[in-house]
Amino acid sequence: MITRQIQTFVARLYRQKDKLWLSIWTAGIVTLWIWNRIFLNNPAFEQIQSAFIHTCLIAVLVIAFCCILGWGAAIGLYVLERSQKKGSALALSFLLNVIRSIPQIIGVLVGYVFITMMLRQEVLQSELLVMILMAIVTSLFVFPELADLIRERIDHYHTLDFVNAMLCCGISEHRIIHVEILWKNSLVHIINKLIAIFGIAIFLQCSVDFIISVGLSTNVSPVNLPITLGSMLARIDSKQDILAIGYTLTHLTYLPNLFFQHLQGLTTALLIVFTLLSIYHIANGFAKRYGVLKG
Amino acid sequence: MMVKIGSQLSEIKRHLIRFATRFKKLVGTLPQKYVAHLCSILFIGILFVVFFLWVRSGSQAARQQEYEAASPYVNLSSLDLNQPLHKTLLKESLRIFHPDASVQNDSLVARAQRYATADLAELQALLRSGAGMTWSDFFNILGMYVSFILTYLPVMVLTYYGVQTLAIFRFVQEKQQRGSYMAQVAQFIRNMPPYTDASALWPQVRAGGLLLLKAAAKGVLLLVLFSPAYVLSYSLRSRFDTDTFFFMILLGVISNGLLITYAQKFYTFLVAESHKGYVQTAVVKNLNASYESFPVPAIFRIRKQFPNHVFQHIYLNARYQYILTLKEQASFLITGLIIIEMALNIHGHLAYELLQNMLYEQYDIILFILMCLFLIVKFTEISVDWWKDYETRRYENG
Repeated sequence: MITRQIQTFVARLYRQKDKLWLSIWTAGIVTLWIWNRIFLNNPAFEQIQSAFIHTCLIAVLVIAFCCILGWGAAIGLYVLERSQKKGSALALSFLLNVIRSIPQIIGVLVGYVFITMMLRQEVLQSELLVMILMAIVTSLFVFPELADLIRERIDHYHTLDFVNAMLCCGISEHRIIHVEILWKNSLVHIINKLIAIFGIAIFLQCSVDFIISVGLSTNVSPVNLPITLGSMLARIDSKQDILAIGYTLTHLTYLPNLFFQHLQGLTTALLIVFTLLSIYHIANGFAKRYGVLKG
Repeated sequence: MMVKIGSQLSEIKRHLIRFATRFKKLVGTLPQKYVAHLCSILFIGILFVVFFLWVRSGSQAARQQEYEAASPYVNLSSLDLNQPLHKTLLKESLRIFHPDASVQNDSLVARAQRYATADLAELQALLRSGAGMTWSDFFNILGMYVSFILTYLPVMVLTYYGVQTLAIFRFVQEKQQRGSYMAQVAQFIRNMPPYTDASALWPQVRAGGLLLLKAAAKGVLLLVLFSPAYVLSYSLRSRFDTDTFFFMILLGVISNGLLITYAQKFYTFLVAESHKGYVQTAVVKNLNASYESFPVPAIFRIRKQFPNHVFQHIYLNARYQYILTLKEQASFLITGLIIIEMALNIHGHLAYELLQNMLYEQYDIILFILMCLFLIVKFTEISVDWWKDYETRRYENG
């Protein structure tokens, strides 16, 4: 009986790929945590732990700010177009296009340089405030994707009869957009996009932190910025650990040492890559389960 | 004399009016999106020029001020800032005198170290750099820009091919209802008969092992495709020369999740198209829709054609819709290339130069490089729009 229940559970989990990959990700992180708890030295273990938490926290904050900015831009554009304020609508759309044309990494890097300037002038004191600012900077260059999606959904539903029918029934436009279109008919699409944004945020943040720690470290002390997976990977001992993978390719007998002697760098790299891979699969599984691909 | 000047002025005015009329006519004939692109280039261009002139006027004084602040600590005979102990001592001393300005103290020590470690020529260059970008810098950066474009173009072409190939391969596999290798392993174990004869067992073990090996290889491939460029490059640095042009292209194509992310987008278009009514109509009208005998080599061809198969139409429509996504792909690709050049500290490359100038606070050069990068994105966007229009016209005429 119990075996059959387990089989049914596993079969259902296998069909729902988003839940399957969420379980794989969680299990992977827990296994890594236990392994490091046993074999990695305590200071490095604690640093990796806080780097992972900071990275995830910033990515979650990016999602929150993207929601605000994306919703604001999409609804703002819609309202301006409807109220015949062509000049303002054109200006907002122009601004969004300019943001899209700036490579994200450049935008985020320039933003981080401003944050470090503020740190140098001791304007920023709290670590949480720095993380919030880092999230705002990242979301500034990621939110147009969400704004586009919201606009696309609103435009799509406006071509259907039910919007006009509801307007005739006296239902307010605000309710039609927010409740009928966005909440009831687009929530799955928005969540799917937010999962993807979580992945992009982690990738951008790790890359910028790595670049800053490697390239700008003499000017901006990395100690000032909260520790993240990117800055953790940029440390010389982490880089040595990663170099050991190349050595192992030609000296296979060295392989067991990777799991005990090079844990700091390998764990950090694995956390980044494994998280990106899992998020990709979670987003795809979610899209498939709720039929987002079919439109 | 006055009459001559007056007639010349009116001649110039007439030319200007004619030019303005022609320009207005030209802009009037251009589609709105191209006008928007040109306006955005013009707007950002003006913005960059204003900032450029502004930072150039202030940079020399700032550099001089910076040097004056650091100079008392640069030439002390008892202090060698190359030694960590001396550096820490200076930091501690500054902290005693200025306890509330720890970050400024750190910056001062860093600057003093930079000036102290620079030799005479470097020092002169550092101080001279306050005057801003020289012609030699300009041509150097232009060379790097050309090299950046020469890397960008092949990576763009290769990823465009890779994205389509991967997406079609996945689509066909899904249609053939092939499960993942791990699922096949599970199925294999479940179907394995209870052998007792060792010789009969061996082929089964070999087949199962092969499946496991394939699953492991796929896992490693996925990890590689999702690895940020710096992880991948540092993993291979001790074995290969990772600073070569070809390695840059390879890294640009396979790393940062670019290929897999955009293959997923193309796959989404394929799936959405395959659910449309015309596909069902074609199937009802007996067009070949079987994926069991699908020509797999055709997936890997550069010019993809699937004659007499319904997939040909699905592919063409998906490809048409994907064209606009190329803008997004180009922007992400440039992000990836910048990450590669910056994170790997590849000397003599555009993004590395940008990072170095951020370090030395050479804002005019930074602005110039940023403008160059913005122009690549913009020209890609214009080309993509033109391509989309061309394809639209082609289908409309057909």
